[in-house]
Amino acid sequence: MNFFDYHHFPVYSIMVLFLGAFLIVLMGKNKTVRNIIAFAAMACSVACMLALFKPVMLEGEIISYWMGNRSIAGGYAIGIALEVDALGLFFGLLISSVVFVAGLYSFQYMSHDDNQQQYYTLFLMLAGGVMGLVLSGDIFNMFIMIEILTFAAVALTAFRNQVYGALEAAFKYLVVGSIGSTCILVGITILYAQAHTLNFAQLSLLIPGNLNNATKLAFALLYIGFSTKAFLVPFHPLAADAHGAAPASVSVLISGVLTKSGIYGIIRLTYFLFQTMGLGSMQFMLVFVGCVSMFVCVTMALAQHDFKRLLAFHSISQIGYVLTAVGLCTALGISSGLYHAMNHTLFKGLLFLAAGAVLHETGTTDLGKLGGLSKKMPQTTILFLIGAFSISGVPPFNGFASKWMIYQATYQKAVESGNIGFLLVTVICLVTSILTLASFVKVSQSVFFGQLPKEYENVKEVGLGMRFAMGLLALACIVSGLFPELVTTYITEPAAAAVFNVGNYISAMGFDGSAVAAGTVSFESVGVWTPVSWLLVLCIALLAITIVALAGKYDRVSAHEGGETVDTKYQLFYGGEENVFSQVGGDDLFWGFKHNWKGYFNFMHDMHSGIVNDYALWAVVALALAIVFTQIVL
Amino acid sequence: MITTILLDALQYLGYILIFPGFLFCFLIGMLLCGIDRKLVARMQKRVGPPILQPFYDFFKLMGKETIIPAQANRTVFLVAPLFGLAALVVIQMFIPIFSFSAFSGMADIIVILYLLLIPALSAIMGAAATGSPYAGVGLSREMVVIISCELPLVMVLLAVAKTVGDALGVGLCFSLSDIAAYQAVNGSLITKLSMIPAALAFMMVIPGETGNHPFDAAEAETELCEGMLAEYSGAPLGVYKLSHAIKMLTLTSLFVALFLGGLGTGIVILDAIIMVVICVVLTAVCISLVHAITARLKIEQIFKYYWTVVSGLALISLVLAWYGL
Amino acid sequence: MITFNYIASFFLIALGLYCIVTKYNLMKTVIGLNIIDYGVNLLIIAVGYNHGGTAPIFTPGELNPGSFFVDPIPQALTLTSIVIGACVSAMSLALVIKLYESYGTLDTRQIRRLRG
Repeated sequence: MNFFDYHHFPVYSIMVLFLGAFLIVLMGKNKTVRNIIAFAAMACSVACMLALFKPVMLEGEIISYWMGNRSIAGGYAIGIALEVDALGLFFGLLISSVVFVAGLYSFQYMSHDDNQQQYYTLFLMLAGGVMGLVLSGDIFNMFIMIEILTFAAVALTAFRNQVYGALEAAFKYLVVGSIGSTCILVGITILYAQAHTLNFAQLSLLIPGNLNNATKLAFALLYIGFSTKAFLVPFHPLAADAHGAAPASVSVLISGVLTKSGIYGIIRLTYFLFQTMGLGSMQFMLVFVGCVSMFVCVTMALAQHDFKRLLAFHSISQIGYVLTAVGLCTALGISSGLYHAMNHTLFKGLLFLAAGAVLHETGTTDLGKLGGLSKKMPQTTILFLIGAFSISGVPPFNGFASKWMIYQATYQKAVESGNIGFLLVTVICLVTSILTLASFVKVSQSVFFGQLPKEYENVKEVGLGMRFAMGLLALACIVSGLFPELVTTYITEPAAAAVFNVGNYISAMGFDGSAVAAGTVSFESVGVWTPVSWLLVLCIALLAITIVALAGKYDRVSAHEGGETVDTKYQLFYGGEENVFSQVGGDDLFWGFKHNWKGYFNFMHDMHSGIVNDYALWAVVALALAIVFTQIVL
Repeated sequence: MITTILLDALQYLGYILIFPGFLFCFLIGMLLCGIDRKLVARMQKRVGPPILQPFYDFFKLMGKETIIPAQANRTVFLVAPLFGLAALVVIQMFIPIFSFSAFSGMADIIVILYLLLIPALSAIMGAAATGSPYAGVGLSREMVVIISCELPLVMVLLAVAKTVGDALGVGLCFSLSDIAAYQAVNGSLITKLSMIPAALAFMMVIPGETGNHPFDAAEAETELCEGMLAEYSGAPLGVYKLSHAIKMLTLTSLFVALFLGGLGTGIVILDAIIMVVICVVLTAVCISLVHAITARLKIEQIFKYYWTVVSGLALISLVLAWYGL
Repeated sequence: MITFNYIASFFLIALGLYCIVTKYNLMKTVIGLNIIDYGVNLLIIAVGYNHGGTAPIFTPGELNPGSFFVDPIPQALTLTSIVIGACVSAMSLALVIKLYESYGTLDTRQIRRLRG
């Protein structure tokens, strides 16, 4: 038996993470040993995924793997199977690399905390859970992995239990997360009762043609379960609480990895298991939820006054983009949605790490207390700005490339389907983008620019390890933004093609999937955008302008002569008022905007009451609505 | 082979630096600015500065000392204005002058929409880097103005895309050069019923995007001491003034490209002159006239105005375009 | 007969959800979670039930053509589900203890520092 056959790699990439978690419990007392084990586990996982890139992404092979060398007996696939197609690998690759970066970051970031042994154990459990989820070919196995990752995420949310609100956030997450997991379990049970199998490929073969009231109920339950994991509306308050309270390296995982696993689940559910996305009503459901998530969360983010909580709401807002694009059921839509999912992981990871760097140095993430850190932490500022520009879609960063594709996809869908509603979707997407920009202007003004409060005068730049991790993500943001064609051709389009080729997925497991029609896949878009040549032009223009500017009499006088300000002309202009601390930032920065919407903002503030019963009620209502909706339209 | 590449490179360099790039933008932008000032003065029964005054101001500022506030972030403070200017010059090159476009196939209208953010964004970053409270208030208002203008602008652009796409039979058309080509054959878009509200909405967006009266709450000399520019002096201030002037040209010429594309003659120089003349007229109507007859609006009034009146117009246009009128 | 199992299991799930939604005590919330869990376990077992089936324990020689098993897979699922339920209880109770330490109350209406 050849252990280095790439067919084994999916198992390895999951097992090394769990093995690492186990080993850290056993012998992770020593810091060096612990870090080496964690590093090795994460690096192995990434390497396994990278090695699968060529056969799965480029050559289109679908790897099916039976644990314990079982096989299909009597026409029923019972046993634990892994199945890796381009979609699974896309998420696997994304997740393992983000886990790797977040791990690198936490070596330094968590170095002042105690109980690090437990931290790394949980961290690797979470990573292993998500990897298992996206590579699994068995629906019950998926459920187990969801439970593992939920527990790990809850425990990590409460890890710094001295932090304001951490315990509370963890409890709320646990309650609503458990309701979601229970929904998934009940859904799986109903599916089993109907089809007598738990294998994903076989279910995809058996379910779509034989929808009855029970399977429709299962669809609603599974949908609600996965949307709990993706924190879609109405589960977004949990994300905000959990991200805000967890350590930054865990927030990266929750926002970059957990939400993606929910999206992955929804894609598998709608495109593979039930194959219902051809229906206009299903497209309407996903796009509607996506748009509501997008818009509600971006406005919630504008009203926040905590750095990480704000980022958390943005996270869900961006997931709304992904869901909207995925819900269009066009090749371009899915490709752009996956592209945005990837970009979201990269830039949101970067932003959370930057928030963590601020927290690490100043001890707070309250936007009202911070200010002027750009002089003290210049590199973090630049990295943060890259992330902020990416998420708000400033060209040529990656957020722009994917959002640009999403606009095209939604508008094309509007024209093709002749449905004026999709036009509104394009407008909502564009307006959300500008509101995102606004709230990041707010963050940069209140944290990195503006006036430096007295107590932060001794703040230093964060250590090299943390900057390195942030730099990796920033580089990825720039590269994936500059070469959108490469990313779409080699990464997202194979994955999107896999979504439309369910027959292959079923056949790879050993069933006859030829009856399932393959969709037509065309990735044509109407727009043109060539970032590299644009950037070239911009650089030449910039160079010319710089030369002209320097050619003039350009006396740049330094303010600091001998460390002290010598002349009052270098001080800020206060119009004759006394120079007191006058940082403008935080809550009321966009007063002119909020004033017009104060009814809406007050309503939203009251709705997000923070009482766990209310959130559970939202979950129950959402479940009821989903059940009624699916019973009617499916 | 090498000579053709070199010639191509030289040609593109010429595009970037001279026409329709930097030099063209500089001259025409400043000219528009001068005409605007003169017109406003005449409308207010003042004599007003000479039309070349913006040029004098600019060169004077370039020669002045640049004072960097002690607590500012130097890099961002100095680099931000340059980025804004460069982005504007690049946008200008993407906007076709009737049938002539320097760089076709590099950007579409959605990209233009986002590129228009960069000058404002760089101004915001530069202002934020100073740490001045005046700049803080100024940038917050600037951001709200951007949000206000975005919604109508988006709807106008989508309406244009749908109209041209319908006419070309492809459903959608985002490419500016295709829009220009379509208009060259079939006449200006403004002759279509559905485009009239869109053109009106776009004309209302122009003063907001350039930050002119009555939508200049972000600069508000009387209350905020120029807001975002409060701490700027010398060359960077000159660059900002130049950017402001070029922005007038950019938006007016975008209007020409979107709605009046059928007026071209096919001869580049003549086309450029026609475009400049239309730009001057548009500046006179949208910027100078409005400046002379209105008082500054409060920031929440600006927001309300754009999201109700102007967006309403744009929405009418979008719906009309949807039903192919 | 088996219909009662289904009704009872969905009744238990609904009861648990009702408990979570309406009771303002953290302990009762945890109890609600557990009730949901019991309902789910009952449902899974009911799904695997075959009338007249014996326990799915395979011993050679005992198996004769007339006898048959209940479906063993749901039983395995139930075991997993029970373990997970225990985890939920343990984790939530641990959190409740810590919450009581830092907030001094078990009333969910008081435990709402994170809101808005």
